[in-house]
Amino acid sequence: MRSFGSMENFAQHTQMVALTQGLSRYYGADAQRVTALDDISIGLRSGQFTAIMGPSGSGKSTLMHIMAGLETPSAGRVWLGGDEISGLGDAALTKLRRRRIGFVFQAFNLVPTLDILGNLRLPFELGGHGPNAEERRRIDSLVHALGLTDRLKHRPHELSGGQQQRVAIARALATKPDIIFADEPTGALDSRTGREVLGLLRSAVDTSGQSIAMVTHDPVAASHADRILFLNDGRIVADRGPMVPAQIAETMLRLEELAA
Amino acid sequence: MSGAIREHAVTVIVSALSTLFAVTLILFTGVMTVAIDPELVEESGTFRLVLLMVCCIFIVIALYVGAIVTANTFATIIAGRLRSIALLRLIGATANRMRARVAGEGLLMGLLGSVIGFVLAELLCFSATAIGPALGWLPTGRAYPLFDPVALIALVVVVFTTWCAAWVGSRRVASVSPIEATGAAVELTPNAAMRRTGRTVWSIILLVIGAALIALGLIVSVFSPFALFVSFVGGLFSFTGIVFGAHVVMPPVLRLVGRGFRGAPTATLASANIARFPERSARSTIGLVIGVTLITMFAVALESYRAMTLSYFAFDPSAEAALDQTLAVTTAIFTGLVGFSAIIAAVGMINTLSLGVLQRTRELGLLRALGFTGAQVRRMVMTESAQMVIAALGFGLILGVFYGWVAAQSLLGAQVGFAAPSVPWLLVCGVVVFGVALALVASATPARRAVRVTPLTALAVD
Repeated sequence: MRSFGSMENFAQHTQMVALTQGLSRYYGADAQRVTALDDISIGLRSGQFTAIMGPSGSGKSTLMHIMAGLETPSAGRVWLGGDEISGLGDAALTKLRRRRIGFVFQAFNLVPTLDILGNLRLPFELGGHGPNAEERRRIDSLVHALGLTDRLKHRPHELSGGQQQRVAIARALATKPDIIFADEPTGALDSRTGREVLGLLRSAVDTSGQSIAMVTHDPVAASHADRILFLNDGRIVADRGPMVPAQIAETMLRLEELAA
Repeated sequence: MSGAIREHAVTVIVSALSTLFAVTLILFTGVMTVAIDPELVEESGTFRLVLLMVCCIFIVIALYVGAIVTANTFATIIAGRLRSIALLRLIGATANRMRARVAGEGLLMGLLGSVIGFVLAELLCFSATAIGPALGWLPTGRAYPLFDPVALIALVVVVFTTWCAAWVGSRRVASVSPIEATGAAVELTPNAAMRRTGRTVWSIILLVIGAALIALGLIVSVFSPFALFVSFVGGLFSFTGIVFGAHVVMPPVLRLVGRGFRGAPTATLASANIARFPERSARSTIGLVIGVTLITMFAVALESYRAMTLSYFAFDPSAEAALDQTLAVTTAIFTGLVGFSAIIAAVGMINTLSLGVLQRTRELGLLRALGFTGAQVRRMVMTESAQMVIAALGFGLILGVFYGWVAAQSLLGAQVGFAAPSVPWLLVCGVVVFGVALALVASATPARRAVRVTPLTALAVD
C-alpha cells in the first residue's frame, strides 16, 4: 500500500479511520457530465458511528462506494486506516475488502448457496486458509450474542429478513475490519426489526470500538449515530453531532427546499 | 432486442443442427442408393427404406437430445424473466396467454433454425454430388436426387418438436404469481425440488422391468444368441428409465463428483451452485450422458464382439483382418452418427452455464464485494463446468461399458461363455479429450462474463 507522509500523520494523530481529500466523481462525457461528488474532504473518526444522509441523488452512496474501494474517484485521494487506496488496482482492493472492510447491504447480503456458518467463514476462507482458533472463537461468540446458534446449518432463504441482516452484521464484525460500511441496512426491514439491527450496530461501536459508516435516508436510523454528515448535490452541507429524529427530519426538509 | 437474440441463439442453433443432421441423412440415403445401384430404386424401395429406418433411429436420438436442450433453455430463460412476467400478470395478462406467447417464440426460432439447417443440408448435398464424381467418391454419370419430400417432413418435425419443447420448458410461467413483480428480492426462488411423483414412478417401473429383462437375457444367452433381443428390449427400457428419471438419477451423481472438489471456497461454491438447481443441472447433463453412453456402448459391444470372435478366426488371418476392418468402419459410422447428438448436448450445457451466470449477476457482485478476486470467480465457473462434464462423461462411460458388454454377451454367450467387457481405450481417451475440450469451451464465455461483474452490482437495487 502506498502511504503519504503528512496525510498519514494527520490520519494517525486525529485517529481517522477513513479519509478523503479533494474527492470528486463525475459520470459521463464532457457534454453531459454529471457531478456526483464535488471536492469532498472529510475524515471518519475511529470508533465512531457515522451516518451519511442526504436526499436521493445527493451522492451519499457514491461517497460510500469510493471510501469502501468499490468505485474509483475521478479526482482526489482516499485513505483507509492510514493506507492510500485511491490508485490501487482491482486485486489489491479485493484483498482489502476481505479483511479490512465489512459490508452490510440493504438486502441480498448472503450467498444463497452457503449455509449461515459458511457465509460467516467465507471472508476468512477466501484468503486460502480458514479462520484460526482465535477467529473461530470470535465467530462463535458473535453467533451466540446475535442469537444465531440454532440457525448455523440453515440456508439464508430459510431466515427472516431481520435474521439475515443479523448474519450480515456478524459476518462484517467477524474479521475485525477497520470500518464497516452499511448501506441502508434497515431499508428492507419493518421498524421493530430495524431498531434491533441499529441497536446491534450501536453496541458494536460502544463495546468493541468498531468504526461504522452508515448511508441512510431514514432519520430514525441516523439518530443512532454519533455524527451525521448531510450531503446535497455532491457536497457536504452539514456536519453534526448526535441529533434526535425530529431535528434530522427538519434538517433534511430544509435541504430539499434548498434544492427545489 | 439483442438480449432476446442472445437468449434464443441456442434454440436456433439446436434446431438448425437437428435439421441439418436429419435432412443430410435423408438426402444422402437417396444419393447412396443411386450410387450403389440405380435400378434398385426403380425395382423396389426396400433397400432405401431399410437405410431410412436406420437413419430414423439416429434422427430420433438427435431430436430427443435437441428437445431436452430446448426445454432446458426455455426453463432457464423463464427463470430470468420472472419479474417481467409477474409484472405482465399484474396488469392483467393470463398465465396461459403468457405461456403460449413464450412457446410461440420457440416456434419462430425453431422455424428460423430449421430453414437454416435445411439450406445448409441442401448445399452440402448439392456440392457433394457436384464434385463427388470428379473426386472419385461417387460413380459418375448418374442422376443423383437433390431433393426428397421426406426431408420436408423432417423439417416440420423439428419445428414442431422445438415448439413442444418450448411449451414444456415454459411450464414455470403458469405458476408465476403477480405478487412477484412487487418484491425487492431478485434472487431466484430455490427450486423446491418439484415433486414429479408420476414421472419418478414410471422411471422406476421402466428401470425394474429393464433390469429384469437384461438379467433374463444374460441367463438365456448361455443357450441361445436370441438372448440379444431380450437384452435389447431390457436395455431400451432401463435406459429410458434412467433418462426419464434424470431428475432423480443425476443429482446424486453430480453430488458425488462435487465431493471430489471440496476445499477451496471456489470449489465448494461451484458444487453448491450445481446442487442448487438439481433439475436444471440434471437436464443439462443428461443429453451428454445419452451421447456418451451410446457411443461407448457401440464401441464396447463391437470391441467385445471382436475379442470374442477372434478365437474363431485365429487360424485364418485374412478373415480376421476383414472382420477388423468391417468393425472399425461400423464403429466409426456409429460414433459419428451418435456424436452429433453429443454435440447438440454440449451446446445445451454451454448455454445452461452461460445463462446461469447471467442470472447470478447480483450474487457474483456480492462475492466480489466480499473479497473474491476476478480469478477466483473465473475458477468457480470453470469448476462448475468441469464438474458437470466429469459427471456426465463418467456416468455415460460406465453405462456405455455395461450396455455394450450386455449386448456382446447376449449375442455370443452361448459360444464363449461369460467374458469380461473389452474396453476400447482409444475411444475412452477420445471421450476424455472431448470432455476436457468441452469443459474449457463451455466455461470460456460464462467465465468471461462472470469476471466482468463489478462488486457494485451487489448494491444495485434492480
